[in-house]
Amino acid sequence: MSTEHRRSRWTVRTPELLVPATLGALLLAYFAVPFVAFLSRTGAANVLGGLASSEAQMAIRNSLLTAPVSTTIATIFGVPLAYVLARQSFPGKRLVEALVILPLIVPPVVGGAMLLTAVGRFTPIGSAAAAAGVPLTDSLIGVVLAQTFVAAPFVVITARAGFGAVDDRLEQASRSLGYGPIATFWHVSLPLARGAIVAGIVLTFARAIGEFGATMMVAYNPRTMPTRIWVDFISGGIDAIVPLALALLAITLVVLAAVQRFGRVPTVIDR
Amino acid sequence: MTLEIDALTHQYGTEPAVDDVSFELEEGELVAILGPSGCGKTTIVQAIAGHVSPTAGRVLLRDGDVTTLPPEERQVGVVFQESTLFPHMTVGENVAYGLAAQNVDVDRRDSVVDDYLALVDLSAQRDAYPAELSGGQRRRVELARALAPEPDVLLLDEPLSALDRTLRERLREEIARIQRETGVTTLFVTHDQEEAMALADRLVVMNDGHVAGIGSPRRLYESPPTPFVASFLGRSNTFSATVCKRQPPTLALEGNGVRGEVTLANSSVDAAVGETVTCHVRPSDLAVDSSNSAESPLTGEVDHVADLGRRYDVTVRLEVGQELVVAQTSPPPSVGDVVGLDLSPGKLTIFETSHEEHAGTEPTPS
Repeated sequence: MSTEHRRSRWTVRTPELLVPATLGALLLAYFAVPFVAFLSRTGAANVLGGLASSEAQMAIRNSLLTAPVSTTIATIFGVPLAYVLARQSFPGKRLVEALVILPLIVPPVVGGAMLLTAVGRFTPIGSAAAAAGVPLTDSLIGVVLAQTFVAAPFVVITARAGFGAVDDRLEQASRSLGYGPIATFWHVSLPLARGAIVAGIVLTFARAIGEFGATMMVAYNPRTMPTRIWVDFISGGIDAIVPLALALLAITLVVLAAVQRFGRVPTVIDR
Repeated sequence: MTLEIDALTHQYGTEPAVDDVSFELEEGELVAILGPSGCGKTTIVQAIAGHVSPTAGRVLLRDGDVTTLPPEERQVGVVFQESTLFPHMTVGENVAYGLAAQNVDVDRRDSVVDDYLALVDLSAQRDAYPAELSGGQRRRVELARALAPEPDVLLLDEPLSALDRTLRERLREEIARIQRETGVTTLFVTHDQEEAMALADRLVVMNDGHVAGIGSPRRLYESPPTPFVASFLGRSNTFSATVCKRQPPTLALEGNGVRGEVTLANSSVDAAVGETVTCHVRPSDLAVDSSNSAESPLTGEVDHVADLGRRYDVTVRLEVGQELVVAQTSPPPSVGDVVGLDLSPGKLTIFETSHEEHAGTEPTPS
């Protein structure tokens, strides 16, 4: 009895997380291997030389110009929408929620085609805008339209989870202390959901700056970094795209660091 | 009148939560709404604060109808069951929050915050964040925050229910002191009858969305207006009987093929002869009488005895079948003894069985 007891104490226990950790490690390896393989090409390519070309500089300029604008638009309209979705039940709410998810489900290239059918050059809106001197396709505005369409759901969904985690009794307390709904939003709801909203903004930015499918349909020109990468790849293969790809990666890494700095990234989970 | 609730009715969808509730609070009064969970207490608080728009009825503050006003335009302070301190603000900023809305200038704001933190004895915690405070300290900060803008009415919605017993009793004293010192008209919502009776000048007892009784704790305890109040306030024995005679009031108890009559002293019966009534008597108003076991229908066998330290609960099974509990401090009879029960004069409360469960508003005793 006692020896048995002792033996069981010395048996090495299988760690509880062995199975999920193994499965997760396989996926991580699958992420890491292409990444490392791609980076190993950098030696063969002249990165700085590649980035010095006027085409590359124009693409970087266009991307750094459009992605922040798209992110700002998505934030200005998306955060209020997220707040309403987190706080209010109304008939047709499911439909609204489905609409928010729609750009995530539709393949970006199809999303781009949808945008073309709405604001393309030969549609009433597109032709009117072109006549007024602000073409909605093949322009920086077109790039912003495509990026906003594809990337905005991220800030809506993340901010909504953030507002959902704020107890609405805190808002009631603020109201009873003399603050109207908008003042309460500024002083209580917004600061408390700040982490989630920032994370959502960052995700939206990362998605916008990397947007290719919809952008290609709506504004193949002027080139952004992703469309430039595509053009370089067609003409020069993998090595030709390494400089711009690394630049894009660097921007995305800065973005990622920002996410880490603002704490945990809330997952895309409803309250 | 500082606060007046007039025929307040509220439904969530088709679910009625509060039905035709009326009561009022005088200046400086502390009134408790007491009732089991789900009786509509919180809905009333939410309607007074303006977070719920009632289906019907009115809320009046200082004689002005505020039913349709948003919460920020009513001078109502609220403390909820769970902490609602703003976690991103310090204690001082939390207390100053309501003052800033009233455009009180910064210097004055500072001194008011000092005063209210001193009132709740938390001056040293002014720069702490809510997460650094204990549960009891958080409650006190919330009281200070709710009181600082000097509201017309302070609403306390189960403010002590989330705390442990010792802390609850200490904070109860604290609330009583703060209410005395500030003189703020207070509506205290609780399901705990001891808490309500210890704190309140008057009670509004609620059951199932209705008012079951309004009055001072002692009056409601001693002469409950409805069977619900009788059974909810303190412990009570309930049994049914038939009216035999109205002068002097005589009731018949029947069961197990046995029938006996009890003549009551110092009581009156409104029900007609032959009608069935429900009787309530408190365990402390019954006494075991071992010598008198002859003709009274209140005779039975001791079923069990519980020793509760300060007193004994003696359960007696009557010959007519009903069980009554007697509370006594003297040594109890043994299980199996046949005893008679003496009823203190005037302590039996009689309700007609068809009695409506809810009472109307009663005049405020002055």
